[in-house]
Amino acid sequence: MKKYVKSTLVLVCICATISLMLAATNAITAPIIEKNQNAAANAALLEVMPDGKDFEEIDITSFTLPATVTEAYKEAGGGHVIKLATTGYSSGLVIMCGVNADGTVSGTVCLASGETLGHEKTYGENFTGKNVSEVEAVDTISGATKTTAAYRGAVKDAINAATILGGGSVDIRSDEEILADNLAAALPAGEGKFTKQFITEVIEGIDAVYRAENGKGAVCVIGEQFIGVDASGVVVSDVDAGLADQISAQMEILNASVETELDLSAYTGLHTSLVSAAKTATGNYVLDMKGAGYGINGGDEYHPASGEYIYIRVSMTKDGKIIDCLTVSQAETDNIGSACADEAFYGQFVGKTEADYDAIDGISGATITTNGYKKAILRAFESVKILEGGAGNEE
Amino acid sequence: MKNNGNMSVLLKGILKENPVLVLILGTCPTLATTNNVAGAFGMGIAAMAVLVCSNMLISLLRKIIPDSVRIPCYIVIIAGFVTIVQMIVQAYFPALYEMLGVYLALITVNCIILGRAEMFASKNSVGKSVLDGLGMGLGFTIALCAMAFIREVFGNASFAGIAIPFLEPYKIAFLVKAPGGMLVYGLLIALVYVITQGKAPVKTEFSCAGCPSAGSCQTGACQKKGGEQ
Repeated sequence: MKKYVKSTLVLVCICATISLMLAATNAITAPIIEKNQNAAANAALLEVMPDGKDFEEIDITSFTLPATVTEAYKEAGGGHVIKLATTGYSSGLVIMCGVNADGTVSGTVCLASGETLGHEKTYGENFTGKNVSEVEAVDTISGATKTTAAYRGAVKDAINAATILGGGSVDIRSDEEILADNLAAALPAGEGKFTKQFITEVIEGIDAVYRAENGKGAVCVIGEQFIGVDASGVVVSDVDAGLADQISAQMEILNASVETELDLSAYTGLHTSLVSAAKTATGNYVLDMKGAGYGINGGDEYHPASGEYIYIRVSMTKDGKIIDCLTVSQAETDNIGSACADEAFYGQFVGKTEADYDAIDGISGATITTNGYKKAILRAFESVKILEGGAGNEE
Repeated sequence: MKNNGNMSVLLKGILKENPVLVLILGTCPTLATTNNVAGAFGMGIAAMAVLVCSNMLISLLRKIIPDSVRIPCYIVIIAGFVTIVQMIVQAYFPALYEMLGVYLALITVNCIILGRAEMFASKNSVGKSVLDGLGMGLGFTIALCAMAFIREVFGNASFAGIAIPFLEPYKIAFLVKAPGGMLVYGLLIALVYVITQGKAPVKTEFSCAGCPSAGSCQTGACQKKGGEQ
């Protein structure tokens, strides 16, 4: 018995002594080890902020920062180093960006990239010394537009994040979020769910109409103004009486719009691009077109053709002026030709006639898509002429 | 052997009872950390520090530690010193810490240290145990450095990380890999055998007489213990 007690006691004493020695050593070395590790981590930070010292990681969860921000460090001089992950052409970039206390970029490096081109390695140098508005003015690189645009966006996010971390406030909402917020503010009854209305009537002074999905009215966009209108066409936003009357009148036209489907077999000479057509009570046409873009006419080893047409809806006055245009569906090459589904592209056709529809900006890197789209628009002009009783341009 | 002078206790570890090349202990770190002279030297010094400290403490406590729990006691002491050395290396020599990686922590299970604790420190005075630790540590360091020198200079055309340009075209990359390490190890063992002209104790049979550690062993202890088990 005594033997066991002694053995146990000795072992316990040795363990306790060794533990004490470990604790003492740890007390001495732990701060040094931590300092070393920080110095190693800071080496990457110093690359983007050569004058920075005493970097300290910030807990970013307590701030509302742009979604691309993954890590943030504060520097003794008031500067920040922001680490960001973007979505570029394919798998995205990991970018480290230093922002000085005055909001200018001290340096930018791309830490990791799955992109196809090499520009991300040197592109960051363009931003050094620039502030947020100068960053926006940096050109993207032709042939690597997606990658470099994402890079530039990330640098902008970094500056905004630094401003927020420094106690300032910046509007970091995306364009979609700003639109959604404006719509919700103009018509609270819409409960935040709106769809852009496809306009089939000629209306004056209104740029766009967003319908509340719950049928509680609409929001008219006039320039920067968002004006709520209830279901019966009465303006609910605070605007002067003249404008309110004008909007009510225009909304009445829209609300009264009735379409009648046309029997295309009754006409001859219509192009196969015309899928269906309808005529409104006011004599405007609503045409569903299919355009042969890259999906039909393109295809190579790397980007196979999908075999799908681009489906386009166009509304047009009887004398051939486009009222509204919308890409209904498309299966063009992702991130290239698929830009034909962006309003920035198809919105260009609004207000155009056969004489000037060709003068729009094509999609960069997607000539076949652009040409197929334009051809479908041209067929729409021709179709309206035939439907109105004239002759189309036989081709 | 016990009556030999302190000098011989210190020196025997360097050649005659070299832990790596004669006793064939600590083979794992020997192969793993000898593709770079700096790493090998650091490993040797770290192991020596642990060896000296653990030998000293175990020798001090040799009368207190009961026989039945001696192995756990030794392991706790050794592991403690290894952790201390590890923390110190991490704090003051971060580059070395990176280089040695897990092998630094593995000094804990290095046979040399437990071997010397069991074989020597538990039976000898504090002074002699420290000298034994120093000698064995030196032997370990020298063997590691010699091996690393051959492997790095001829295998990687560099010395302690500094490139040797004129050897660059002739480097034998095989030496840096594990099989090359094994080969160099074998050659060094052979060389030591030749130098000592076979006078170094070589294990020729499974008895105390043929044991390389017989010199520091209380003759017959192994056999007696073996008989008990």
